[in-house]
Amino acid sequence: MSELIVPGQMISDRPTRQPSTYVEDGKTYSAVVAIKNVEGKIVPLQGPYSPVEGDFVVGVVTNVKFAGYEVALHTPYRAFLSSRELRDTFELGDIISAEIISVDEVKSMMLDNPRCLRGGMLAEFSPVKIPRLIGKKNSMLELIRGKTGCELAIGKNGYVWIGPGKTALAFSTIMKVEREAHISGLTNRIEEYLSKNGK
Amino acid sequence: MGKPKLLNDDGKRLDGRALDELRPLKIAARVLNDANGSAYVHWGKNRVLAGVYGPRECIPKHNSSPYAAQIKCRYNMAPFCSLEEHGRSGPSRRSVELSKVIRETFENVIIAGAYPKTQIDIYIEILQSDGGTRCAAITAAAVALADAGIPLKDMVSAVAVGKVEGKISLDLSKEEDNFGQSDMPIAFASRNGDVLLLQMDGQLTKEEIAQGLQMARNACVKISALQAEALRTAYDGAKNGEKQLDLSI
Repeated sequence: MSELIVPGQMISDRPTRQPSTYVEDGKTYSAVVAIKNVEGKIVPLQGPYSPVEGDFVVGVVTNVKFAGYEVALHTPYRAFLSSRELRDTFELGDIISAEIISVDEVKSMMLDNPRCLRGGMLAEFSPVKIPRLIGKKNSMLELIRGKTGCELAIGKNGYVWIGPGKTALAFSTIMKVEREAHISGLTNRIEEYLSKNGK
Repeated sequence: MGKPKLLNDDGKRLDGRALDELRPLKIAARVLNDANGSAYVHWGKNRVLAGVYGPRECIPKHNSSPYAAQIKCRYNMAPFCSLEEHGRSGPSRRSVELSKVIRETFENVIIAGAYPKTQIDIYIEILQSDGGTRCAAITAAAVALADAGIPLKDMVSAVAVGKVEGKISLDLSKEEDNFGQSDMPIAFASRNGDVLLLQMDGQLTKEEIAQGLQMARNACVKISALQAEALRTAYDGAKNGEKQLDLSI
């Protein structure tokens, strides 16, 4: 069984570089509540999103300016989408997906490659659990998409857009994934849940 | 009214505890729905609720730092928490002081540099008080911060030691605090044992302080084990799809 780690607990007696840890006196310690997996990597159970260049994100347009759009990404940081090389225009309240092209030292972001997501709904998801919602080689994503007929846009920032289809079922499934993300056998349970509730 | 006798003839204290014994302590993590992290501590007759929000946008903006998250703390006593009057007219001198010392305790362990231009809010409500609320508050807030996923160098646990009838004793109750000779709340970083908070009322000799520190250090090992257990239980609880909370001592 995987082990639960609390902040300040030693993970390795050698300095290693991985997120949510710190090194002191040549040893690596966890900075968060996490689960240690078989490879000795720690998987945080909770936490805010830290923007990284290249991340695919989903957000809401919160301001339309002359030079572009401000986008809310469920983080304390600003994200700006320049309209200089854009063909399409967006309106206040539009849900868009985009890619982070740069993050500066105070974590303000520039976005690019926007796509407007029409209809459907927006769900909040814990950013540290996003990998479980996507699954190995998109397995979880494909499973939910296949059984509900909903397009999904999963932003690394924790916003998940659920397209038109069996939206309510997709939403409740996603919430189940979030609740049970750290318990093994997740895919089987979700498959069961979807076939039970999917009629 | 004269000063009550605080030690029984058999050397036990008024509530039957030995000198180096903690009051019954129960900690639960993740007790609030909408806070990013939360914890509840039931310690003797103290009941403390802590909620953590953030990192979130810093307000007012001119207070934000481009280098680190601002840490803000509000310690508040509910109007119904004790016999004396509390909280009817906003923050008191005492609660402002406690908010400050608790904030400074956590400024030592929160890795604030990871979240520039933001703030982290720690809200602590004392629902019922019986001596040692600042220690209970720190213990609860540390669990709430860990639950919120805020990066911490270390967990923090706190306990008071003091002098009762000339004897160094652990975890003073309200009577022992009011009528004893000295009260010294101490907070430790759990891993490396750093002292993050040390205050003192009354007088202690150098030897008594050393003895008290050692007593508190031993007790904090037990407290931090309970804190880790609370976090573990919170995540195991998610397995059943619901939170199970048994806070009876």
